[in-house]
Amino acid sequence: MPGEASKAAAIIGAAEANDIGYPQAPKSSLTLHIEAINNVCEMTGIPIAAIDGIFSAGWSPQLAEYLGLHPKYIDTTSVGGCSFEMHVHHALAAIHAGVINVALVSHGEMGFSQRFTGGKGTGRPFGGGDPWDPGTQHTSAYGLGGAPTGYSHAMNRHMSRYGTTQEDFAEIAVVTREWATLNPRAVMYRKAGEGDLPALEQGEWGGGKRGHTFGGPITVDTVMNSRAISWPIKLLDVCLVTDHGGAVLITGPEIASTSKTPPVWIAGAGESISHWNMLEMNDFTETSAGRSAAAAYRMAGMGPEDMEMAMIYDSFTVTAGITAEMLGLAPAGEGPALWKDRHAAPGGRLPINTNGGGLSFNHSGMYGMQLLVEAYRQLSGTAEDGGFSGDPGKQTSARSCVVNGTGGTLSTTGTLVLTSD
Amino acid sequence: MAEYTKPIPSPDPVSQPFWDGAKEGKLMLPRCSDCNRVHWYPRVICPFCHSMNIDWVEGTGRGTIHTFAVQHNRGLVARGWGDEVPYVTAYIDLAEGDRMLTVLKGVDPNDPESIEIGSAVQIEFEEASEDVHIPFWRPV
Repeated sequence: MPGEASKAAAIIGAAEANDIGYPQAPKSSLTLHIEAINNVCEMTGIPIAAIDGIFSAGWSPQLAEYLGLHPKYIDTTSVGGCSFEMHVHHALAAIHAGVINVALVSHGEMGFSQRFTGGKGTGRPFGGGDPWDPGTQHTSAYGLGGAPTGYSHAMNRHMSRYGTTQEDFAEIAVVTREWATLNPRAVMYRKAGEGDLPALEQGEWGGGKRGHTFGGPITVDTVMNSRAISWPIKLLDVCLVTDHGGAVLITGPEIASTSKTPPVWIAGAGESISHWNMLEMNDFTETSAGRSAAAAYRMAGMGPEDMEMAMIYDSFTVTAGITAEMLGLAPAGEGPALWKDRHAAPGGRLPINTNGGGLSFNHSGMYGMQLLVEAYRQLSGTAEDGGFSGDPGKQTSARSCVVNGTGGTLSTTGTLVLTSD
Repeated sequence: MAEYTKPIPSPDPVSQPFWDGAKEGKLMLPRCSDCNRVHWYPRVICPFCHSMNIDWVEGTGRGTIHTFAVQHNRGLVARGWGDEVPYVTAYIDLAEGDRMLTVLKGVDPNDPESIEIGSAVQIEFEEASEDVHIPFWRPV
């Protein structure tokens, strides 16, 4: 029996900013938001003025002001890359409760371009954490910094507990790259210098559409031979750092029926947290996705066996491998086998990360919006015939998809069960 | 004493007893007087039973390696640590319960297979400043 809120609302459109990946010139995070919002409203035929709820990872007041909107619901939940799955959960609840009619979930992040602007345009304050914050005080002495420096501890624990290997996790990168070579929007679509476009010169701006030094098909050996970042994590176990803007609109059935694009129903939603600082992570081989997925499946009245595709946050190969287990798609310790045995690959029984993932498509720092856009494109059929953006991309005829975002350091999770009808 | 070039933590009123102990080479741990469980990091409330009766006990300084990683990328680690790559970070299960982050001393970062999850380690303190002595761990 589905829960009461199941399918009380649908994602009626999903769009991206005009330039994503490695754009030709830097755009501010705010501009990336606005381009995507404009595109999703054009796509659906719902005017921007109709938006009465704004959900974003910290940007909602600025977006409302910039657009001259006076929304009735303002949500700034910002708990890492899964924030956007949580926004969909919150929007579903707000629409189900009758508080709002049209929810906007929006994302804009210049992960790549900020290297060239010195941090300007990101919307983030400069400076580090509060020295008295316990997570800072009791970890800063040991130098852990960028995300790979933490996630590697979880990968090692998984290998120790289950006997998985670095090669097993490398299979995730290989198959995900295979998907990216089918997606011209993907940064890793092809290798620089191959095809009709020239390779980038050192220090030259942009180039996502021209190929990447590490682009094109890869093998397990390519991953294993890539340079060590934080053992056992190597360069090709790590996601990209790109620009991205994305937006989705969520409404109840009545407004959904007026949209120019088909609805994708929010059958189930759930969220949870196990810790914020990795210091407080209990079991390094499990995430709170076990709990957020249980809630989402319960609301949907469906289970992992009903899912025909999956969009799983892959900040690192280990993130995807562990999460597949938490979502019930593979037994504990056997997550990477979904990729190794090619179930997750093109033509497999359970396509996973059909856009090429955070590993090879696009990852701007927070990747939850990219998951939503791709799930919408596949389930709605708008990826067919080039879809809205004119790009090809239909990879599956799946009619159900489990979407899982992960934020922080394997800390927070948001899970959605989406269906075509 | 040579100048300490890596980040030095800032003790706060809640954690001060830990840092006071560290200066004397003692591992002081917060313990709930109601459920008797030790927790880390220090809090004003027990994360297990939510009692606000917390006292401090001296720990054994013994633990085991829960998991570890080898930091190779100088751009990803904090100021001061870049010059030390590769180095080994680890989470330590304390004999008294709960877990600490540390840098493992006395291990070979170029041979991670030689470091064993679950093996015994012991605490030591390094004087980073007059007020702050930082805990590190090494295999027994």
